[in-house]
Amino acid sequence: MREKSTTLYLGPQHPGITGNMMVKLQLEGDTIVKATTHVGYLHRAFEKLIERRNWMQTTTILCRFCVPEPDPPEAAFALAVEQIEGREVPERGKYLRSLVLELARLQSFMLWYAGQSGSTGLYTVGQWSVGDRNYVLDLFEELTGGRIYHMYIWPGGVRRDIPEGFEDKVLRTMDYIEKRIDDYDRMMFDSAIFQKRAQGVGIITKEKAMEWGVVGAPLRGCGIGHDVRKDNPYDAYDKLDFEMGIFEGGDVWARARVRQFEIRQTISMIRQLIQNLPSGDYLNKMPNPMKWTIPAGSAYGKVESVRGEFGFHVVSDGSDKPRRVHARGPAYVHGVSLLEDVLIGQNLADVSFIMNSLGVCPPEIER
Amino acid sequence: METSLIKEELLAQQLQNAFENIVTEAVRKDTVFAYASKEQVSSILLYAKEKLGYKSLAHMSCIDWLESDEFELVYIIWSPETKLNLFVKTRIDRQNPEMENMDMIWRQLNTYQREIREMFGVEFPGFVGEKEFILEDWEDAPPMRRDFDTLEYVNDTFFEREGREDKQDVRERIAKRSGEEIPDFAKKYSRE
Repeated sequence: MREKSTTLYLGPQHPGITGNMMVKLQLEGDTIVKATTHVGYLHRAFEKLIERRNWMQTTTILCRFCVPEPDPPEAAFALAVEQIEGREVPERGKYLRSLVLELARLQSFMLWYAGQSGSTGLYTVGQWSVGDRNYVLDLFEELTGGRIYHMYIWPGGVRRDIPEGFEDKVLRTMDYIEKRIDDYDRMMFDSAIFQKRAQGVGIITKEKAMEWGVVGAPLRGCGIGHDVRKDNPYDAYDKLDFEMGIFEGGDVWARARVRQFEIRQTISMIRQLIQNLPSGDYLNKMPNPMKWTIPAGSAYGKVESVRGEFGFHVVSDGSDKPRRVHARGPAYVHGVSLLEDVLIGQNLADVSFIMNSLGVCPPEIER
Repeated sequence: METSLIKEELLAQQLQNAFENIVTEAVRKDTVFAYASKEQVSSILLYAKEKLGYKSLAHMSCIDWLESDEFELVYIIWSPETKLNLFVKTRIDRQNPEMENMDMIWRQLNTYQREIREMFGVEFPGFVGEKEFILEDWEDAPPMRRDFDTLEYVNDTFFEREGREDKQDVRERIAKRSGEEIPDFAKKYSRE
């Protein structure tokens, strides 16, 4: 009997991603012949809403662009506004920003551990890492008042200074998490199941990676070392000692190794930031936020999130409201044109595994 | 800040030498703007990609300038060697918005073009891509245009459920319905 091809609508709800997105798969047996991404389940018209908000009100919308990583959008927007306005950020503000961004990376890495191990059936790692992630969220709660959405990074600096005794708490949490990561690694990276599932799966070609707009860990997993924090350093990153994780192969395994390496770098960076935290002002105050206008101009602010470059193209017409704020998340490329290509020839069971490895985040694609 | 724009000035000069009738500007650190007509954009992008090493497309954006009846299209490209962002900007007519399809230069432009076609109604002749991207069964004007009134659309399209109308004090409604008294300390928060 001749096998016919089947069409399978995977999603919009499935375990590979945070959010809702459908992938229409054309299957032969359980091998994927064609994949088409369908987004649109999470469109909240943020960019349209922003046109009716003033510059200050915009910051409350930005963090909602991507749920697992709410801080990079805030920082990218702040950088773009500062570029247009020429506003300087005090040294302490820069360090606190980097601290928050690294803490955000840390918690996002831990969510990635959960997603990546969960999609291979190693649920224990996920339960551990999501549990431990709460200690990082506790730090956020103490610092900003919110566990997930912080609205902490403002153009000009950060919203408030750190509370008393916060440094010690951060360092204690880092000591704890550092020990726990070794456990995760033993469970995940030493597991034969994970190794077999990850190696040689979801390969991105090295020659094309740069041109196809691959960023972040997937790019460094192809052996190409680019990181916004190194290439165009912002905030306090030019004063920090850290390395990029660069691994060859371009498969899920290489990307996992990059993240395994970088989570430790993040912890080391958080320690450096706490130890070298300068004193002084933390915010270069803007005038009355409700009457705050930005001179006409445009800029592209970008930061490195766990999934790659997160950028905002911000255009001002000189009024108190943004003319246009257009987000470019890593998932915009990874989740549509790249995913459709990478999935061809893969097994049906690996779809959510690959999506998680590429860092597909639908709320950021459709905003 | 103005002192260290050597790399930026150099790029602006290179582009200026290669193309007539374009305006370049080294705006600030890591940022160079190039203003061109819509016919020139593809050759500038190809030249920057092939000759100057601007291999990575960071972003493509569309801005609605309703006042001057134009759309502005912005291509932001980045070079791994110089680490500069080059903005290639062009303005197109808002009444008949058409732009060259360029997804053969960077294939991720396909996604951007799909979004801009859907949200602004800019057409890219010869462009193959599924019609719907984010919106589903959309028949109204392209929603990201400045003259599309979101509030009006919402009021026309959706209705409010009874008892859930805007600016209602839900707590008071419930109290009234079940015949309860709102305590004195809570009365100052009343909306009615």
